[in-house]
Amino acid sequence: MITEPQVTGYLSEHYAEDAYRTLAGYEAKGGFAGLRKALRMEPDEVTETVKSSGLRGRGGAGFGAGLKWSFMPRAAEPMKVIVCNADESEPGSFKDRLILERGVFQALEGILIGAWAMGARKTFIYVRGEYAHGADVLERAVDELRNNGYLGRSCFRKRGFHHEVVVHRGAGAYICGEETGLLESLEGKKGQPRNKPPFPAQYGAFGLPTTVNNVETFAHVPFILDRGVDWFRSFGTEKSPGTTLFGVSGHVEKPGLFEFPLGVPLADLLEHAGGVRGGRPLKGIMPGGMSMPILPPSDLDVPMADESLSERGSRLGTGGVMVMDNTTCMVRVACIIAHFFRDESCGQCTQCREGTGWIYRICRRLEEGRGVAADLELLDAVPKMMEGQTICGFADAAAWPIQGLMRHFHGDFEAHVRERKCPFPESFEL
Amino acid sequence: MPSIEIDGVEFEVAEGRTVLQAIDDLGLLMNGVDIPHYCWHPKLSIDGSCRLCQVEIEGLPKLQIACNTPVRDGMVIRTNSESVESARRAVMELLLINHPLDCPICDQAGECKLQDYAFEYGAEAARTVEPRRPAKKGVRLGPTIVFDQERCILCRRCVRFCREVPGTGELGVFERGDESLLEVFPGAELDNPYSMNVADICPVGALTTADFRFKIRVWFLDDEESVCNQCANGCNLWASRSNNRVYRYLPRRNDAVNDTWICDHGRLSYRTISEGRLEKPRIRGKLASYAEALGEASRLLRTALDADGGVAGVASPFAANEDLFVLRELLAALGAAPAAFAVPMGEADDLLIKAEKAPNAAGARALGFRESREALAAVSVAIAFGHELAVDAFAAVDDLILIDTHDSPLVKQASVVLPARSFAEKAGTFTNFARRVQRFRPVVEPSFEAYAEGRIVQEIARGAGIAGFEAGYDAAAVSAALSESVPAFAGISLLSLDDRGRELR
Repeated sequence: MITEPQVTGYLSEHYAEDAYRTLAGYEAKGGFAGLRKALRMEPDEVTETVKSSGLRGRGGAGFGAGLKWSFMPRAAEPMKVIVCNADESEPGSFKDRLILERGVFQALEGILIGAWAMGARKTFIYVRGEYAHGADVLERAVDELRNNGYLGRSCFRKRGFHHEVVVHRGAGAYICGEETGLLESLEGKKGQPRNKPPFPAQYGAFGLPTTVNNVETFAHVPFILDRGVDWFRSFGTEKSPGTTLFGVSGHVEKPGLFEFPLGVPLADLLEHAGGVRGGRPLKGIMPGGMSMPILPPSDLDVPMADESLSERGSRLGTGGVMVMDNTTCMVRVACIIAHFFRDESCGQCTQCREGTGWIYRICRRLEEGRGVAADLELLDAVPKMMEGQTICGFADAAAWPIQGLMRHFHGDFEAHVRERKCPFPESFEL
Repeated sequence: MPSIEIDGVEFEVAEGRTVLQAIDDLGLLMNGVDIPHYCWHPKLSIDGSCRLCQVEIEGLPKLQIACNTPVRDGMVIRTNSESVESARRAVMELLLINHPLDCPICDQAGECKLQDYAFEYGAEAARTVEPRRPAKKGVRLGPTIVFDQERCILCRRCVRFCREVPGTGELGVFERGDESLLEVFPGAELDNPYSMNVADICPVGALTTADFRFKIRVWFLDDEESVCNQCANGCNLWASRSNNRVYRYLPRRNDAVNDTWICDHGRLSYRTISEGRLEKPRIRGKLASYAEALGEASRLLRTALDADGGVAGVASPFAANEDLFVLRELLAALGAAPAAFAVPMGEADDLLIKAEKAPNAAGARALGFRESREALAAVSVAIAFGHELAVDAFAAVDDLILIDTHDSPLVKQASVVLPARSFAEKAGTFTNFARRVQRFRPVVEPSFEAYAEGRIVQEIARGAGIAGFEAGYDAAAVSAALSESVPAFAGISLLSLDDRGRELR
């Protein structure tokens, strides 16, 4: 499914080259120039640079990366920690996997820049368990760094700059990608998000001040330091600078990853993915992974940036674009989504634990022709009972896509009730 | 001190607390300020998972959970807005999706938070059509606790209790999402000295004690303030009574003594109120009327005094301060030495359980009695409370007047036996290991003739014609006299103490 990126940008420019996965090959292409520059700056200056670049977190929430770094306490004690979130589990999202496998040193360099900026002594990279190959590549890369004096005491012979990296493989739960669920799992506990406050910058991994960033977020950082804020801001939009790796999947001719500046029109992305399979009419597109509400074909002109997608009632999320043609039964889509979230809810918060199961059962009976008109009202009511009410964003992620489907494809749901069966015989099988 | 406003009323609260904690500190939670909650408990870590305590906070777009939101000076909180009420209705509806509506056969009915809040916020009809999740019924989690898994609302209070209080951690929530289940860890049993507290903190009927389960409907019970007499800690209790019988003890919150907990041994000691009691007065082994036995005791005392044969007293760390004081006054009036007493000893831990297995050893010490297990010197008459001393300690005593609550080998040895009221059958005070004087109230009436030890001593002394003991016995008056004549007890008496007790001076 994953093919090499179709459009070159700074991030994926050398991903096709095997040598780029070695330290020497990476440095030959200008790798570690960003870190070298950072080490000549004061740590706070580095954070300021990242802040003014406007780099937004690429893990789905789009929070300002530099701002997050600035939340870390200045004191050297207790030890500060970086966590790199490589637990990519959002359905429709597969960009972090490519970075791990093809651009691993970009992320590691970004981590070391963050370590210098925040005064962190240790990084835990939490890798999705299924990403065995990516984790292998990552472990080799970390060893290579350590063997060359890039990790350990006085990294890069910089006095007082000590850093160690630990690669930790997850065991395959979606919720362990939520930053505090990840921290619990990292500590050996059941992956369940923590209440905030305290935030990770005060009480993170093992109770230490911690910053959690996504793999891709770190991968952008070396370029910002090396080539400058203005250069970085020449990509993307005012509020969402830089490029990102869009994963396009579903009913397209050429699924894959595409690096584009943020703000690229959705239609362009679809075109680069070869358009809808067999030239069929488009029915809907989920623009940001499965958690983000679906868009109708009339929204194809939307610029792919968080702020513009928000105006259309969706979000950029992880940039996983899922395309559905006109054979698609949107009630089946709802079933798949609801099943996923019912399965992955950690079960702590009442609304999420009970609501995800309830939504799934409603979708299921609608699809099986057992639904009644009142079920459509419930499918409207139950997500509202869940969103914005829980410890983490999971309940929102479970509620929003259902609301999106109900908003744009209410007719599909009504038809299931009216005809007492699924009226889309050509749709994918459940 | 930050000042916060809740529904238009201002409260000065402590710094560094969350909204729910701050209200609880003031003693107003569900007692003036109603913020319903399940998972939060004042003595456990914050879980924040039931989401019932959501409130509206001015300036914040979303509702916030009161249990985990730190107070800020000037914070304006609303607990009764439409959005709060609808969030509560949502939580209640969602909790009831998988909760059986078996209140008529559930032992928690009547003291169930799910029942209470469903009454307030619940829908009249269910909007779900599928059957509820099947789960275990009536399984033992260990020697003390029975588990009805289908009623569990996964608040995890019990899980946190076992991890944080006894530190045994037998319980966990397994699986995920709506398949989450509370269980004991594989191979483990819920078996620790504090296990039964999980039934108290379970907001629903999921965890009940094997001891109390199905004994009586809770609405037939009245709760009376009491204090545990099984060790020197003096844990505060509610004694639940119906038909002149105590059915259970529950911990009564006292943050200075036992927080909200009691040990299982103490909890089950309500049985000692009715079991093994000394019920019948005797004279030299033969049954007698109470009046006859009292008369014989007075005669023995008078004779001993007239013959200058010597009188000794033996106190008991199970007796109340007031009863001990009357004994002290009598011995002083007779010019006899202060009474000896012995404290039964046992295991201790660093939570609640103390090595001294009696409630009032500190009181006996404060009243000047001396600890001794040695045999009594040769005297004509010994007046003894309780049976902590062995039978042979009385070998050199001509006549033993035994005043006791429970049967013991001493009964055979005694010339006169006078049944006494247990602490559950009278008002009085105990002094715990930390010298905190705590009151207890009469819970039941004995089913046989019995009196407080102090009254019995008073009657014996009056019958023997000893000056100063002419007046009738009144516990409150004795307590006031004690407070006046013993400096450590200054300002501390039955009437002046509140339900939290006070330390000796």
